[in-house]
Amino acid sequence: MPEKTNDKTIFSLLEVTQSIQKTLSERYKSAFWVKAEMNKLNFYGQSGHCYPELVEKQDGKVIAQIKSHLWKDDYIRANNNFKVVLKEPLKDGIKILFLAKVSFDPGHGLALWILDIDPSYTLGDLEREKQEAISRLQEEGIFNRNKTVKLPLLPQRIAIISVETSKGYVDFLKVIETNSWNYAFFHLLFPSLLQGDKAVEAICHQLRRIKRIKSHFDVVAIIRGGGGDIGLSCYNNYQLAKEIALFPIPVITGIGHATNETVTEMVSFSNAITPTKLAEFLLQHFHNFSIPLQDGERIIIDTSHQLIRDAKSKLHSELKLFRSVTENILTANRNEVRELLKSVFHHTRSQISQFKLLVLQWKDKLFAHASLQCKQTQMELKNIDKNIINMSPQVVLKRGYSITRLNGEAIKDTHTIRSGDTVSTTLFEGNIISVVQSTNQSAKE
Amino acid sequence: MSDKIGYTEAFEELQQIVSEIEQGEISVDELSEKVKRAAQLIKVCKAKLTATEEDVNKILKELDASETDDNEG
Repeated sequence: MPEKTNDKTIFSLLEVTQSIQKTLSERYKSAFWVKAEMNKLNFYGQSGHCYPELVEKQDGKVIAQIKSHLWKDDYIRANNNFKVVLKEPLKDGIKILFLAKVSFDPGHGLALWILDIDPSYTLGDLEREKQEAISRLQEEGIFNRNKTVKLPLLPQRIAIISVETSKGYVDFLKVIETNSWNYAFFHLLFPSLLQGDKAVEAICHQLRRIKRIKSHFDVVAIIRGGGGDIGLSCYNNYQLAKEIALFPIPVITGIGHATNETVTEMVSFSNAITPTKLAEFLLQHFHNFSIPLQDGERIIIDTSHQLIRDAKSKLHSELKLFRSVTENILTANRNEVRELLKSVFHHTRSQISQFKLLVLQWKDKLFAHASLQCKQTQMELKNIDKNIINMSPQVVLKRGYSITRLNGEAIKDTHTIRSGDTVSTTLFEGNIISVVQSTNQSAKE
Repeated sequence: MSDKIGYTEAFEELQQIVSEIEQGEISVDELSEKVKRAAQLIKVCKAKLTATEEDVNKILKELDASETDDNEG
């Protein structure tokens, strides 16, 4: 009861707070739905209770805030609902719609007593944030940037962002290291948290480290797995997605069985979904290189052999043709030569017989001509002989002619003769010596 | 003939030779030269498939150096 001193009524603090408690409990009898941002969850592991910090912001400024409590059993139920619907636990910095009662306790003051939290409201809010991240990346024109980076033919050197203890990491290594084709990979682990709010900064940090030594790597693989499906909303974070979109070498993701593709997976060069699939994606690139290589080798060997076989058989048939053609030509020529030889023999023989005949004929003609000539010449000679005989001085002298000589010279005219010259006249038989009395120059009769 | 040909170039050149051979664009006269070249290219490519030259220690040293630079800057 309040004390009365002079004109004052004085209440104890308990009386006042109990009065407030009474008034409030009368005024706020039923529970009601409230939307607010849960700045901090403030989960206490020992008690299992939570004391969330609830705020409302406008333009980034806190315009309302109140303490709250979420008792252990309510927390476990709400948290399970969240995991089912959102694939996320209750955590700091999310917007929630909750059923609450106004609670006032003289010892702890005013608070909202959270009875239940509707996960679908938060889901919508997270989805909206995701969509905002997508549209922001698209507006900036970098949404598909990492997909346009060139992946080497053999993505051989892998910078892995994961944790050593992750089952996904182990699975991934098992596939690439025990591949039966002996494909060689080089990989280096850049350890990072892979889920929850702190994963964003941790992954970004490792990405920045890899960027410094990017010349040693063909590809970055973000690998998560075995950790359940809770806590993946960090992969919808704009900063992380932007870091990946703008990364200078391809980033491939295998972050597990998320129901919906996260923004990080959307902007990455390729999303293999699971770590094993991611390893297979890399192996596939090796196959894409190795198989044409083997095929090429086989084609080159086979085709070269075929080419040589073809050339050989072509050469053989050419040779055969050549031989047969030349043999034909030789035979034809040989026959022709033989025929020509035959005809040359034949012709010469007949020519020779003809000539022989002609020679014989000419011989006869020659003989005939020659003997005729001889006879004629003999006749002529006889005539000449006769004439000569006729012309001989003895014959002439016999016929009565005589030769008169002066000094042994036959006298043909009178010019050389002088009267008194002694001349000698030769007759057929005997000589006359006479002295010239006179001469006269008589003309020839 | 360069020994330093990258595997990507080697792969592309090999594909070129294979397609020439497949199309029958290579005569018997050129064959020997082409096959010899192809064998070299295949060797380069096969070596790449089964070996890498990266060295973890070297990379970590380089990473440390770059991070030290940044911290000092």
